[in-house]
Amino acid sequence: MLTIKTIDDININERLYQLNLGPQHPSTHGVLHFLLTLDGEVVVKAEMLIGYTHRGHEKMAENRIYEQFYPNTARMDYLSGMIFNTGYCETVEKLCGIEVPKRAQYVRVITSELNRVASHLLGIMDFVMGIGAYTPFLYGWDDREQILDLLETISGSRLTYNYSRFGGVRVDVDQAFCDGARRFVDRLRGRFKLYKDLITDNIIFIKRTIGVGVISKDVALDYGVTGPTLRGSGVKYDVRKNEPYSSYQDFKFEIPTKEEGDCMARYLVRMAEMEQSLNIIEQALDNLPEGPVRADVPRFITPPAGDCYHSFESARGAVGYYIVSDGTRIPYRIKVRAPSFSNLFVMNKILPGHFVADLVAIFGSIDVTVPEIDR
Amino acid sequence: MNTSYGFKEYVKDIFTGSKSLVIGMGVTLKRLFQPIVTVQYPRQKPIMTPHFRGHIEAILFDDNKSHHCVACGLCARTCPSHVIKVQGEKTKAGDKKYGKKYFIDFTKCSLCGLCVDVCPEKTLKFSNEYELAFFSRWDGVMDLMQRLEERK
Ligand code: SF4
Ligand code: SF4
Repeated sequence: MLTIKTIDDININERLYQLNLGPQHPSTHGVLHFLLTLDGEVVVKAEMLIGYTHRGHEKMAENRIYEQFYPNTARMDYLSGMIFNTGYCETVEKLCGIEVPKRAQYVRVITSELNRVASHLLGIMDFVMGIGAYTPFLYGWDDREQILDLLETISGSRLTYNYSRFGGVRVDVDQAFCDGARRFVDRLRGRFKLYKDLITDNIIFIKRTIGVGVISKDVALDYGVTGPTLRGSGVKYDVRKNEPYSSYQDFKFEIPTKEEGDCMARYLVRMAEMEQSLNIIEQALDNLPEGPVRADVPRFITPPAGDCYHSFESARGAVGYYIVSDGTRIPYRIKVRAPSFSNLFVMNKILPGHFVADLVAIFGSIDVTVPEIDR
Repeated sequence: MNTSYGFKEYVKDIFTGSKSLVIGMGVTLKRLFQPIVTVQYPRQKPIMTPHFRGHIEAILFDDNKSHHCVACGLCARTCPSHVIKVQGEKTKAGDKKYGKKYFIDFTKCSLCGLCVDVCPEKTLKFSNEYELAFFSRWDGVMDLMQRLEERK
């Protein structure tokens, strides 16, 4: 930190200066403020200033009934709103001991995985656009658009889905949705070659990502990093596999990992994860059981007094909901553990020594959503 | 960052760089001859799905040629954004109440669907309208019963 108070404090040999990147910088994914101390073009110290989109979701929860918190969940991480929404419902179901019908669980898995693919597509394309490639971005958004259209047909919304309800989902999926999902799976499988040509084999992309922003295994574990960022550092941890929830134990899928821990590794993990998600979607569609999509739950839920922690895997890492109930219709406290927070602050550790231009690559490869950090 | 960056690497980079460029251009060129994927919006209107969530709307039932709202106020109490105001009316004592005025402030609606789900008479639905931009804040406040009258 620079502390210049009088003229005597200036050390002319130390040519440090400070640069504000953000909060309104196009590559900071919304409103994140980097306060960089630079020596020439090299980062000496980086501080992340958050709080620009703080809306007090956790506090809001204490003033509304359990049902009224649905819309808030999707607005934390707006890119994986379906996963956050489903996770909240699962937590309350765990607290009340509600058994969710099998079909609803499968529908939740399908929609969550579609949402994960959409989020990864956006994350990757934002990343490559951040380091200067505009073309892949448009192709990625074309694919993402298909998912949004598909999810719109059942939930009615494109980002803030509000689709899961306590005890199941709001509307049953129909044949048209299943066919659409299958068509999408086939379509995206055919597109991976294109992404390989455009991004993975591109010399500029390779030069800007290999060996940049290396997060070692120990650092990642120390900082509580989760999700593709952790798996890019060689730790095989995925909540879907390690603590299966919502029927994830029924599906066969791999957890892709990479040992390198650099930007390229994180990108490749995300790409491989999309393929795994497609496998899960296909299996779930093949074995979609018949039956109701919603359990018999009262119109307004009143959980027993007690507390409950539930964690699930969003597109960015392990999310945790901790709900304390005092036996009334209004939650006593809801605490959200957001993965982006710990994923972001590992940059404190790894940024020093990198160029400012690399910051954009590292930040993009970690794939953070700021509203989720601020909540 | 590569310290041993000599002439050989330089030539190799130029070669692989050109190859990447050709491959990338090939993808773009192929795309040029495929049908366009964007909708030419103001001239071409997208078709919304039946589940699309525009603002909420009262359903016109055939049996009484009107809505079924009994002004119980459940939707108003459940709404997380507190944007609904229902006013009921009784024609004579002993009669059932029915909804006379139903105001929503769409500008604050979070489109959660709780009001639609919670209504005991199932008289609410989402409209299929998607051009919901207004010039004034007050344009977002609408009376659903009046809109229903206009639709009749
Ligand atoms: S719309 Fe339904 S929930 Fe709302 S006041 Fe009328 S009957 Fe009650
Ligand atoms: S959709 Fe939700 S926010 Fe909008 S009026 Fe209905 S209950 Fe209120």
